[in-house]
Amino acid sequence: MVWRVMLFAWIAAAMSVALLKAPLVPVLQETTRILYFHIPSAWVTVVALGWSMLHSILYLVRRDLRHDDQAAAAAELGLLFCIVATVSGSLWAKAMWGAYWNWDPRETSIFFILLLYAAYLALRGSIEGDEKRARLSAVYSVVAFVAVPFLIFVVPRMYESLHPDPIINKTGKIDMDPMIKWCFFAMLGGFTVLFFWLQSLRVRVAGLERRQHLARG
Amino acid sequence: MPNGTSSSAAAVWAILRKECRSEWRTRYGLNAALLFAVTSLTAVSFAAGRIGNRTDILSGLFWIVLLFATLASMSHAFVREVEGRTMLMLRLVAAPTEIATGKLLFNLLFLAVVEVVLVPLFMILMAAPPPHWGPFLALLALGTVSLAASSTLVGAVIAQTRGRGALFAGISLPLLLPVLAAAVGGTREMWVGHPVASSLRLLAAYAVALLAASLLLYDHLWED
Repeated sequence: MVWRVMLFAWIAAAMSVALLKAPLVPVLQETTRILYFHIPSAWVTVVALGWSMLHSILYLVRRDLRHDDQAAAAAELGLLFCIVATVSGSLWAKAMWGAYWNWDPRETSIFFILLLYAAYLALRGSIEGDEKRARLSAVYSVVAFVAVPFLIFVVPRMYESLHPDPIINKTGKIDMDPMIKWCFFAMLGGFTVLFFWLQSLRVRVAGLERRQHLARG
Repeated sequence: MPNGTSSSAAAVWAILRKECRSEWRTRYGLNAALLFAVTSLTAVSFAAGRIGNRTDILSGLFWIVLLFATLASMSHAFVREVEGRTMLMLRLVAAPTEIATGKLLFNLLFLAVVEVVLVPLFMILMAAPPPHWGPFLALLALGTVSLAASSTLVGAVIAQTRGRGALFAGISLPLLLPVLAAAVGGTREMWVGHPVASSLRLLAAYAVALLAASLLLYDHLWED
């Protein structure tokens, strides 16, 4: 309970400082503020994807349904954060590039990831039986993981992108105003903890549902 | 089991022969796939008109037609076994990896036959300029391997779901988008005479990664 309040206070404080006090990046101007929730959402999307894949592999190795709960919950939350990142990025693109959507490589890769999550969840919905659902969706999840590095790292680098990481992150080092940097990392940490908290809730619910199901027969 | 490698190679070979024979008896799958490929090609050709000089658009259209033909026909490999109630029998005589590898080889062969019809027809109907055959065939071959590998794995998964065929396209697509991106990019470069090495490398890397993952996962496709 205490740390939940602390998490809330932490994110609220970081967001307030970020929006009210932190300076703006020259090129991005007022749109600098997207930094504090768009990038953390995209980060959590990838963390959730990794978490889901990891537990899918663990399920295939150990055949414990709790790993399947973890994988499913992470995929659901990943989809949620992916939508947040896509929509906020799209709004930003309208402000900066003049169009909500123009298939910039970054937009392409996040859209692919959105499809991947959606396909995984659609697959889960169409399989009857816990063991079978867990096994088949884990198989799909692992093979999807093969596509992810190509989508996130290879495709965006093969084509020219207008995405501003070269503006903020010129030399591969984090090259930001210290105030922006602190707010950004505070939000990144806050979002990560938020994800794992939501994840633990979702997994607990899944466990309780299974127990109730078993009790009823 | 004595002599494991050669006996599983024999099992794979037997599955491949069985697939070919049962396909040849009805030719249902192949006819459907060819008909679908020609239909979508005709639709594309009518819709786009004569755009033989727009090789950038042609590259996209070519791969979309091939992708659709794949998505429309490849789910059969395992669905047919489930619907014909022959899956259990098949699993009695061979290990999951052998079954899936046999099916993968069959799917490759199947796609090759579809392409033999589709490629010349596409070139004629779309009035496309002659491609540089070396790079074009290399792109086609690597793209086909990825298409077949992904279709085999997803096909095996999908055969055990409630909707069976219905989900196949939606679930295959995210896995095939990198293939589509690289193959379309490569074909476009090929047509204007640029080197296609980077697209080929990407396609090859993806095909190898997909095949490796498939071989590791085939064992988990069915409950023991």
